[in-house]
Amino acid sequence: MKKYILIITVFFSIGISGCKKDYLSLEVNPNQPSVSPPGLTLAGALVTAAAIVNTNYSEYGVWGGYFTRSGNYVPSPALDQFQITNQSYTGVWTNLYQNITNFNNLQVASAKDPTQSNFQAIAMIMKAYDFEQLVDQFGDVPYTQAFLPSSILNPGYDSQQAIYNDLVKQLDAAMALIAKGGGANPGSGDVVFGGNMTGWAKFANTLKLRLAIRQSNLGTNAAAADLGATASVGYLDGTTQAIANPGYTTALSGSNSQQSPFYASYGFDVNGNATGNNTYYRANLFLINILKNDNDPRLNRIYSTVGGIVDGNTFGDASARSNTFTSTFGPGLLKSGSMGAVLMSGAESLFLQSEALVRGYGIGGSLTAQQAYEAGITASFAAMGLTQAQAITYYSQAIQNVGWVASTDKIQAIIYQKYISLAGYGNLEGYLEYERTGYPNLPVPASADPSAVSTTIPKRQYYPLSELTSNAASLGKEGTINIFTTKIFWEK
Amino acid sequence: MKKLLLVSLCFLMLCITQVFAQNRTVTGTVTAKEDGLPIPGVTVKVKGTNNGTQTNTAGKYTLAGVPAGATLQFSFIGYETLSVAATGTTVNAVLTLASNQLGEVVVTTAMGIKQSSRDLGYAAAKVTAQQLTATGVTNVANGLTAKVSGLAVYSLDNGVDPNVAIVLRGNRSLEGNNNALIVIDGVPVPGGTLSSVNPNDIADVTILKGAGSAALYGSEASNGAILITTKRGTGDGKPTITYQNTFQLENVSYYPKLQTQFGTYGGEGPPYVNNITGEVFYTPYENQEYGPAYNGATVQIGAPAGSATGPVQMVKYSPYPVSPIKQFFQTGFTEQNDISFSQGDAKNAFFISAQNAYRTTVVPSDLNIKNAFSVRGHRTYGMFSADYSVGYTKSRVSTYNSATSNPLGGVSGISGTYVTNAGAADLYSSILQLPAFLNLSTIKDPDGLYGNPNDFYDAYAINPYWTLKHSRRNINKDVLLSQLKLKLEPTKWVAISYQLSDNFGINQERDTQDEVDFSPYGISDYWSAGNVPSGFAATGKSLGQVNDFYSYGDGTSNPNPGYSRIQGDAIVDLHHNFFKDLKTSLILGNSVRQQYLKEMGSGSKQLLIPGFYNINAIGGAISANEASYMIRNIAYFGDLNIGWKNFINFEGTLRREEDSRLSKAERTFYYPSAKLSFIPTDAIPALKDSHILNYAKLYASFSRVGNIDIGAYQIFDIYNLTPGFPYGPLGGLSAGTDNYSSTLKPELTTEIELGADLSFFDSRLAVNATYYDQHVKNQTVFIGTSITTGYNRTLTNIGETQSKGEEIQVTGDILTQAANHFGFQLGANFSINDSKVISLLPNITSLSLGSRQYAVVGQPFPLMEGTDFVRDPQGHVVVSSTSGYPSTAQTLTTYGRTTPKYDLGVTTRLAYKFVSLSAVAEYRGGDVTYNGIGSTLDFTGSGYTSASAGRQPFVFPNSVINTGTAANPVYTPNTNVNVRDGNYGFWQGSAYASTDYPYISSGAFWKLREVNLSFNLDQFVKQTRFIKSITVSLTGRDLFMWVPKNNPWTDPEFSDSNPQSNLRGVNDIRETPNTRLFGGSVKVTF
Repeated sequence: MKKYILIITVFFSIGISGCKKDYLSLEVNPNQPSVSPPGLTLAGALVTAAAIVNTNYSEYGVWGGYFTRSGNYVPSPALDQFQITNQSYTGVWTNLYQNITNFNNLQVASAKDPTQSNFQAIAMIMKAYDFEQLVDQFGDVPYTQAFLPSSILNPGYDSQQAIYNDLVKQLDAAMALIAKGGGANPGSGDVVFGGNMTGWAKFANTLKLRLAIRQSNLGTNAAAADLGATASVGYLDGTTQAIANPGYTTALSGSNSQQSPFYASYGFDVNGNATGNNTYYRANLFLINILKNDNDPRLNRIYSTVGGIVDGNTFGDASARSNTFTSTFGPGLLKSGSMGAVLMSGAESLFLQSEALVRGYGIGGSLTAQQAYEAGITASFAAMGLTQAQAITYYSQAIQNVGWVASTDKIQAIIYQKYISLAGYGNLEGYLEYERTGYPNLPVPASADPSAVSTTIPKRQYYPLSELTSNAASLGKEGTINIFTTKIFWEK
Repeated sequence: MKKLLLVSLCFLMLCITQVFAQNRTVTGTVTAKEDGLPIPGVTVKVKGTNNGTQTNTAGKYTLAGVPAGATLQFSFIGYETLSVAATGTTVNAVLTLASNQLGEVVVTTAMGIKQSSRDLGYAAAKVTAQQLTATGVTNVANGLTAKVSGLAVYSLDNGVDPNVAIVLRGNRSLEGNNNALIVIDGVPVPGGTLSSVNPNDIADVTILKGAGSAALYGSEASNGAILITTKRGTGDGKPTITYQNTFQLENVSYYPKLQTQFGTYGGEGPPYVNNITGEVFYTPYENQEYGPAYNGATVQIGAPAGSATGPVQMVKYSPYPVSPIKQFFQTGFTEQNDISFSQGDAKNAFFISAQNAYRTTVVPSDLNIKNAFSVRGHRTYGMFSADYSVGYTKSRVSTYNSATSNPLGGVSGISGTYVTNAGAADLYSSILQLPAFLNLSTIKDPDGLYGNPNDFYDAYAINPYWTLKHSRRNINKDVLLSQLKLKLEPTKWVAISYQLSDNFGINQERDTQDEVDFSPYGISDYWSAGNVPSGFAATGKSLGQVNDFYSYGDGTSNPNPGYSRIQGDAIVDLHHNFFKDLKTSLILGNSVRQQYLKEMGSGSKQLLIPGFYNINAIGGAISANEASYMIRNIAYFGDLNIGWKNFINFEGTLRREEDSRLSKAERTFYYPSAKLSFIPTDAIPALKDSHILNYAKLYASFSRVGNIDIGAYQIFDIYNLTPGFPYGPLGGLSAGTDNYSSTLKPELTTEIELGADLSFFDSRLAVNATYYDQHVKNQTVFIGTSITTGYNRTLTNIGETQSKGEEIQVTGDILTQAANHFGFQLGANFSINDSKVISLLPNITSLSLGSRQYAVVGQPFPLMEGTDFVRDPQGHVVVSSTSGYPSTAQTLTTYGRTTPKYDLGVTTRLAYKFVSLSAVAEYRGGDVTYNGIGSTLDFTGSGYTSASAGRQPFVFPNSVINTGTAANPVYTPNTNVNVRDGNYGFWQGSAYASTDYPYISSGAFWKLREVNLSFNLDQFVKQTRFIKSITVSLTGRDLFMWVPKNNPWTDPEFSDSNPQSNLRGVNDIRETPNTRLFGGSVKVTF
């Protein structure tokens, strides 16, 4: 009997002896890091933010009158007929929150270390930049209860106005952090200003200006009243622009294109062949006619030529012509695979300044409204590869909404010009400003498709299906949304 | 192997018989009917006396003292008892397997332990080798289909290397693994290796349906287990050689319903449409069939070939006699050659087998060649014995390249084409775009006159033959399954064993796509249609592509390769009978396993030299990836069995497990189980020797097992490389959107099982009925969290689900086939599975599982939800009062569960003399399917549905219009508002095609799974003495399928999910049509 017990004991010892003490300790993931240095998070998040604003807003480009669906493709009920569901154009919700998560992580981590104050400031500015896009498209969104996964899995929605108010505060705080100095230079991880914090301060201040101007329809505009406090920081202009470029190139990194996001999406693949979007989105006759009427040389820069001319389709035309007869994105927009990705252009900033001056907001500086307006046009011309002389020739025309003096409604002229300058990279901003002001001077055409369910373009987006399925209780408090009648708080 | 073990069981029972001196001695040999081999250990008795003996290892016996006129009784566990009149001095007996004698069947249970089925306190079904391979299956899973209640085999596609999943008792885990554990000769093997097991090497398969029966295997077996016992050499020292040739033809059995009325048009403007009347004209280059009705005229198709003055293809504008889809698919051919050698005696066994299987399918140029070898054996030296098994399978698969399953992104179709709408990159989709009037012989050569990419008639798609020839996926799989078991039996009540197994596979895959050089004429776009070549105007070419993928794991192809595994099991088996009637056994064991997976991939879409597929000659950067995963697990377990008087048996098991996937604090857990079986027909004197109810067993079990449903390293958050990075030296990382937590616990399945095995009318009718109720707590799921939390998904333990069901298996031996007479057996197995989500998380009553599937409190899971049309309160579709078109509702509609609730299998066997006919049919139902293929068919306009209203304006059936206001709607039946355009406008330009409702159908089907007509020619070859047995059979599989009318599309069993996924009931154009196989086999035993 003892013999057998011995055998059994020896036997079990053999079975177990192979196991070292830490045999089961395999928690560390050998495939992906579980922490990220701030420089890497910053670079990744900035490039993603640029990609979102450059490629996520095709539908606004169509509704806003810049582009149309190609006749080579089957009609899209959502795009052409506004048969929009909560799954149609809501992908950007996820993209933006995901992007903000990274900036939020960066903000939280760098706040613990005073030497990383610059990272903290950039994170705050970019959060404001992203959150504004969310509020402007969706209205109330989770803000104060967002990004607290350990305690809140169903974040409540904050009021749009309250978020706007806090974004201004956050931008002020970021500018103060930058002014205080002492932080390490973000270096190459800052793919927008290359570590130049003055640029970031100006970007923050211009965002603040945009938030103020967006609320121009409101009776009281606290943001506008507050502009003077940071006026000395200055604003973006034709030389200081918020343009991201990590080193875009006509190459592949792994299976991902390394081209500039707008170019890669609406232009050409790494082999130089046209992308699906390039063939799907064609010139819209609405903008073509505006540019033609104004003798605007940007016509051949925004759009390509077919058979020597620029031509396009009417939005919603059931028998839209094929690509052989219609223009696509032009060389002023598709400059090269290595071009920078515009977060906010100098032209947009100058038009914002011009409008602020017309409205009497205290933004300081030495420019007059007309100077800012004309500098905005010049910056737009420059961005599309045209000369200052061409710009002067253009805005010297005594045409309503082109020449400053000839324009009876200065605000309308500013928005009209800003609308043209935003073609392509600024689909969202062009659409939003149309919703705020009703300008350009013609209402943008609703769909010509007889099956369209609305005679106007949507005023906002539905909340995404993912919120309905994962955050229903909080979303429920927002009530029923009608995208054609439920307005964002600043909308006209 | 089986017989040898039975022998040892007999020795254990120590059947002591007294021999009386009598006046006559009878000798003879006892053989088994099914293989003609001698059976050792058979009890031979003079009926009505205690005079008896046993056969020796050669199956021979000598029994003295047999009175004249006496009857000899031959009995052996697992076989029908046979009585033969002892008329001479030589009495040979042929025993028949007793499929109905439930109480006597020996079952291989967990850890390879053999138990008499009468002692089992849970449901265990056995499938014999003969049942498994009746129709020459190449995959074990197919052989199990419809034969066991509660077991569902899902054939997910019809490829040359198909994906198959085996699920027992339905889904219980919401998102985790629900597939049964596969165990070969007592050792769990990676799930993906099942397809590499040669079905002809299998002696039998035992199915442990519930968690309780497999509790000894721990967390891996919470979904039940499939225990495979492989063949070992048996017999009397004489070698047995078996050769089998199986050949099968395969053709498409079920095509989607297609229209043959209308030719090509696809929404073009003038001159292809009259803008005033809306009349559409024939469009010679379209990929959509929304054109005018066929009229028999001769028309031009495509552009002139080669140049504007080149030859023009003229075709008759009427349906070609054979539809394009039928022209495309061919007859597949499978040939399988098997040879095996076995030899053995009571102490030793040796078995070697080789198999070659060559398979082509209905898709031209697809090929699967498999070569398998295995060596197994057993040797006993006194108290020591060794058992070994090595199986090696090498397969080569060549198939057209589908875009979906590639980790590096699709290498399919021609990149950058305009055709993004219908996923035309896939072969099947491009076939469905071919109009009915096309004769495919003109485009069969993808480099020829009308078939080449420049001159292909269709401006928007690629020639499917181009995909076949120039876009290929080649897979090489090497799978090795090996095990060694050493056993020491120092005394008759102790057995100690150690078993080591190492199972792994290497999968090598290369996906290639040829370069295409477009001609200036092709790019010039003859029709100004924006054709495929014009998309390559910049460079004039689409560069060649290559992707290589390697994995060391279980040998399955990407994108979901399984783990390799090394496992060591130490087991001490103590068994002893006390006081004559108390039978006890105690098994103690330790099991250590390590699972490992390594994946690497590399590729480029910019090959510089046409036809040279290597990343050494590329432009741009190489795309490459690498990942490795390891899992370790240590377990201790015990199994105590106590039986009294052979009619009541208790079994208790306990397993302690530690797993590396969980954090240290949560790593250790215990799984208990308790089972009880009771045999009233033996225990209660009044029930004994009844001919009506001759056997009854009642059993109950309770068990709790865990299921670790998290992958390796899923307890900490991760950062991923941001797309596009690195830019030179600049790196960028983005936070992963999955929220992981170190507090994750294993899922806990608590199962109660009750059952009865009943056998009536001298075992002519056998009934097995079970009821089970499983509750799963701590479901480990990715809950779709609001991205506003920072995470798309959070992996967490939530709520509780219930899965309960009834299973009944009835086997009727209606006419027993006595010698040369008629025999008839009929069996049925039926299972109902009911699942329900009891709770999820506080405040969460619904969560998304992906692919339109959800878990909703109070509902079965997975539950399909999808978009529907806007309807009035009575359910009528609300259409626009101006366009007559429906619109899509904003909220989701619940359509039903996506896994079958009911599963019925019917088996029958008719035999007359040496001829037998057997058949298996199966019904599944109670589920719904989303047919992605329906959406493609409406896109192409080739589907039957899109032509059902003759392409004329029609009133949307059962529709209403709102005659009130938006705020106060009044719904009036729509009698006169036609859809504005019954052609392209409705089918492509309305919300019809973008709504889920039209494509959701019942998932029910009836299938004739197997038919086998078999001729046993043994009696004609007996005298040769060289050939022992010949069987010739004609076989058919999946001969017919019947589906409800609302499914004109495809086999509802198909699914575009991978075998590990729980999400069934969603198919698309990646699954080519289903097929039937028919052929024959010859099996010769020497």
